Amino acid sequence: MAKHDTPMLDELEKGPWPSFVTDMKRQAETHPECWDILGQLELSYEDRITHWKHGGIVGVFGYGGGIVGRYSDVPDRFPGVEHFHTVRVNQPAGLYYSTENLRALMDLWDKYGSGMTNMHGSTGDMILLGTRTENLEPLFWDLTHDLGQDLGGSGSNLRTPSCCLGESRCEWACYDTQDICYALTMHYQDEIHRPAFPYKFKFKFSGCANDCVAAIARSDFAVIGTWKDDIQIDQAAVKEYVAGNYPANGGAHKDGDWGPFNLKKEVIDLCPTQCMWMEGDELKIDNSECNRCMHCINVMPRALRPGKEKGATICIGAKAPILDGAQFATMIIPFIEVSKDNEYENIIDVIERIWDWWMEVGKNRERVGETMQRVGLPTFLSVMEVEPIPQHVKEPRSNPYVFWKEEEVPGGFERDIVEFRKRHAA
Amino acid sequence: MAMSVEEVEAAIIEKAKKAPKPQLYIKDFYKCAPDMKPRQIKKIANKLVEKGELMFWSSGSTTMYARPDRIKDEEGAEGIN
Ligand code: HEM
Ligand code: HEM
Ligand code: SF4
Ligand code: SF4
Repeated sequence: MAKHDTPMLDELEKGPWPSFVTDMKRQAETHPECWDILGQLELSYEDRITHWKHGGIVGVFGYGGGIVGRYSDVPDRFPGVEHFHTVRVNQPAGLYYSTENLRALMDLWDKYGSGMTNMHGSTGDMILLGTRTENLEPLFWDLTHDLGQDLGGSGSNLRTPSCCLGESRCEWACYDTQDICYALTMHYQDEIHRPAFPYKFKFKFSGCANDCVAAIARSDFAVIGTWKDDIQIDQAAVKEYVAGNYPANGGAHKDGDWGPFNLKKEVIDLCPTQCMWMEGDELKIDNSECNRCMHCINVMPRALRPGKEKGATICIGAKAPILDGAQFATMIIPFIEVSKDNEYENIIDVIERIWDWWMEVGKNRERVGETMQRVGLPTFLSVMEVEPIPQHVKEPRSNPYVFWKEEEVPGGFERDIVEFRKRHAA
Repeated sequence: MAMSVEEVEAAIIEKAKKAPKPQLYIKDFYKCAPDMKPRQIKKIANKLVEKGELMFWSSGSTTMYARPDRIKDEEGAEGIN
């Protein structure tokens, strides 16, 4: 495996930013198969078509996921990437590693693979890029036996759950994201390691609406922390912000020249529900209008914090564009308690209600968000046994027809025809 | 009348042998046991993989099921993607 001429890729090394081409060339010095990745990519640029083949039957014994098979369709020219499978390693909750563990993982990957990684993939896993079929079993053995780590999900499996770092470092976390992420990973081992559905299904857990794992955009089942009662306000700290004694946004933007802090411009006017105002030098919030977006709290963390009655909102059905376009998740359950005391039984109930319905009604390769769209939100809400509320409604209706179900009509649809005909002769 | 697990297994294997395409979606097996919950059928299909009666076949993003003797080359990347 020798170096190839890659004039087009070399262009991507110019400029002040990091370059994956430079990284791969460096990696190729110890793992020559990386020259063939570059060579094949250059060829793809010339031919304007991918030279990777997807699919097939790679994996480790007993598992139906965790390895993504990749083959070159020009192996004679690029033997180093004849097989170039991806290994997904289940990341620790909140992405905490010891340096010792990271070194051990990299040693393992240097031994069995190309040494190239993607930390982390959008699913959340640590992605080890590029190995041959015959390396998979020994790699899996060492990973599970020496490092005590496991593969994540792929294909039609439950994908590796992921979470924000939550209570471990962030005072805004409205529940313990890492605990539920770990608990459900353990609870659903079978679903993660073997295909369980007509298509992929993802859980993600964010501790608040800042949504640091982008659950609302990337997961079929997004659990996003929120609170029921009032935002906690420290009026003395509000005054300190106004006086310029506390840096806004925790000092995050202090290098820019933004002028003095302006509470009206930066907080009140940007509140999406327009539910904040000043009364004298007191900040007021109409909490019944607040949608818990976190904006004001982000700007003035020392003056404002989430309420005390904490839990989560469940949003369902986000996805990337595969069959239809990309979509965000839809808010279905405005507030649910998230507590380890009941081993997340109430959340598990919601999850399994969705699965039972989606497996039955969903089409092949249809994400739950697409199934929801196909049947319509009212139908989905009734499947979930959730009462519709105004927040479920996106816009006023444009369809003038109202359909009632029999149970919604007092007296039902049955009528005594004789009684009716007495008043309306045929 | 509810089918026994053995009857469902036999129906799934039969279907996997006879289907026009060797790779089947899990949903293709639902009709083998109309009274059973899909998640139950999924468990039975995965057990059949363990027993070697079926194998997993991945399209890259979707996992399908096949009879091992109906998949020829190891890569099997042709066909559905
Ligand atoms: C035209 C070529 C390709 C297309 C259109 C494509 C498309 C995609 C899409 C849509 C995703 C899902 C992203 C997400 O929602 O998380 C994905 C994930 C992935 N692809 Fe590709 N892909 C291509 C080529 C490749 C190649 C050549 C490789 C490896 C050699 C690869 C490896 C992966 C991996 C490892 C993931 C999962 C990453 C994660 O877990 O987040 N893909 N790809
Ligand atoms: C259960 C009872 C009824 C149902 C379900 C019904 C349904 C409909 C529907 C679906 C249309 C077509 C609307 C459209 O243009 O898209 C229509 C049109 C119409 N209906 Fe009814 N209707 C009912 C009773 C009545 C009664 C009691 C009257 C008169 C006393 C009536 C008079 C009309 C007229 C005149 C039109 C034509 C309107 C137009 O196209 O400009 N309908 N009806
Ligand atoms: S999502 Fe919220 S709770 Fe989680 S780390 Fe981000 S800001 Fe903190
Ligand atoms: S959290 Fe958002 S909606 Fe609520 S008061 Fe603050 S800025 Fe307004």
